[in-house]
Amino acid sequence: MNTVALAPPRKRRHLLRNSGFLALPLIILVWSVADPSLGRELLDWVPYLASGFMMNIVIALLAMTLGTLVGTLFGILELAPYRLVRYPVVAYVQVFRNAPHLVLIFATTYIFPFEIVVAGHYLPFPDWVKAVIGLAIPASAYVAEITRGAIQSIPTTQWEAAKGLGFSQGQALRWIILPQCLRRSLPPWMNLFASITMGTALASLVGVHELLHAATDASTAVRRLDFTIVAYLVVMAAFFMLCYPISRLTRRLEGRFNAA
Amino acid sequence: MQDMNLSDLFVSLTSRIGLNYEFLATGYESQIWRDGFVTTLYLVALLIPVSLIFGLLFAACLTSGKLWLSSPVRGFVELTRNTPTLVQLMFSFLVLNTFVSNLVGGAQNNPLTPFFWVVAVVGLHIAALHAEAIRAGIEAVPASTIEAARGIGFSQFQILRYVEVPLAFRASLPAIVNNLINLVKLTTVGNAIAVSEITYASIMVWTQRDNVVSLMIAILLFFSIINLIVARIGLWVERKLAVPGYGI
Repeated sequence: MNTVALAPPRKRRHLLRNSGFLALPLIILVWSVADPSLGRELLDWVPYLASGFMMNIVIALLAMTLGTLVGTLFGILELAPYRLVRYPVVAYVQVFRNAPHLVLIFATTYIFPFEIVVAGHYLPFPDWVKAVIGLAIPASAYVAEITRGAIQSIPTTQWEAAKGLGFSQGQALRWIILPQCLRRSLPPWMNLFASITMGTALASLVGVHELLHAATDASTAVRRLDFTIVAYLVVMAAFFMLCYPISRLTRRLEGRFNAA
Repeated sequence: MQDMNLSDLFVSLTSRIGLNYEFLATGYESQIWRDGFVTTLYLVALLIPVSLIFGLLFAACLTSGKLWLSSPVRGFVELTRNTPTLVQLMFSFLVLNTFVSNLVGGAQNNPLTPFFWVVAVVGLHIAALHAEAIRAGIEAVPASTIEAARGIGFSQFQILRYVEVPLAFRASLPAIVNNLINLVKLTTVGNAIAVSEITYASIMVWTQRDNVVSLMIAILLFFSIINLIVARIGLWVERKLAVPGYGI
């Protein structure tokens, strides 16, 4: 009886959420159909905008890969028993976790050279790679904290049991502790992924051809107020459609892990 | 005079380890740079109360139980959480600002400055994050406490004001401090629409002087220090407000 009484509002909330998810694309679609000249203009620019968004995704994926590899290592080093190792890593994490992403993107863009010499060959060092590094630095600092927190949340008895079974400290970390950390650190890691994905928009400020940059290009080329609005709505919709499912999934996982 | 000598000493000492702070000796550039620091601090000081007030307002709407009140706020919260702040800022500045300009008859009459838009966009963005934290706190208030308050004759608003918010605020304080640190970092997006905060001022200096590394060190230290102070104040408030028997 109780579940029957509860069902309708829950279903309605679900419907509301899903319709909210499609609201932005629907606005764009309806507007384009209602004003065909605008729709045609938008259709012309869609490939250009899509190529920009691909760049966002590439930057986000590479930055997260790099950040996760370095960050996991740093998270383990943060717990190292040697001060000489621990202090520099803790300092790195503190400084770069507190630094604005934009500042780090500026730093990598302006400090690194525009080409590097490898064995006599001049290799170009494009801006988007610098943006990857600029976002990988804060990502690594966050992943280090996530990893450290996860390792510390594992009961000490696990370490002791592993020792009792004849595992060395390194083996215990690799085979007993880290696999358990994976589950605990997945929700915060996904939050970070969404945050870094949104951070890729900052790369437009250093001239990387990504979605926001593409939208600005398009709106200055077309010079119509309604097109400008729609172009930026497309940008918002693209990021929203990418990040909203991630954040919903994160909350679902968090709920499930908390219940477990 | 004393001040002049100190900055000269600083410039000569840092130049010995390869850093270039020579612009501090000139009037114009050092003025721009110092104003950049002041603008960032001003933004932070203004944004913290703005974000908290709107965060509380949003949280009240979210937990009101009225669909017409909670669903628009829920929509706004989800939109602002899942789109880049920079995109929101560009949208507000290029689209909403143009609407306002057309409404008042020309850009010259538009009273809204880029500074206003940074405060509005970043403030509301962080307010949405606060609202989520406070909502979680409000939902964590035990039902028996609310029933007890209703039992002694508190109205719905009084329960919110005297029972739910004080308890929820304490529970959500760590998350709020985290959001405030994000807020400090987000002030740098003002750079995109020429608000002369510290990164904008630094670009002005390093395009002339080519001393990116030196300025970067100063900026990173600056943000580390502000965030350290914000985190410390948060911890202090948390201890000050701690209810005996709650938490650790």
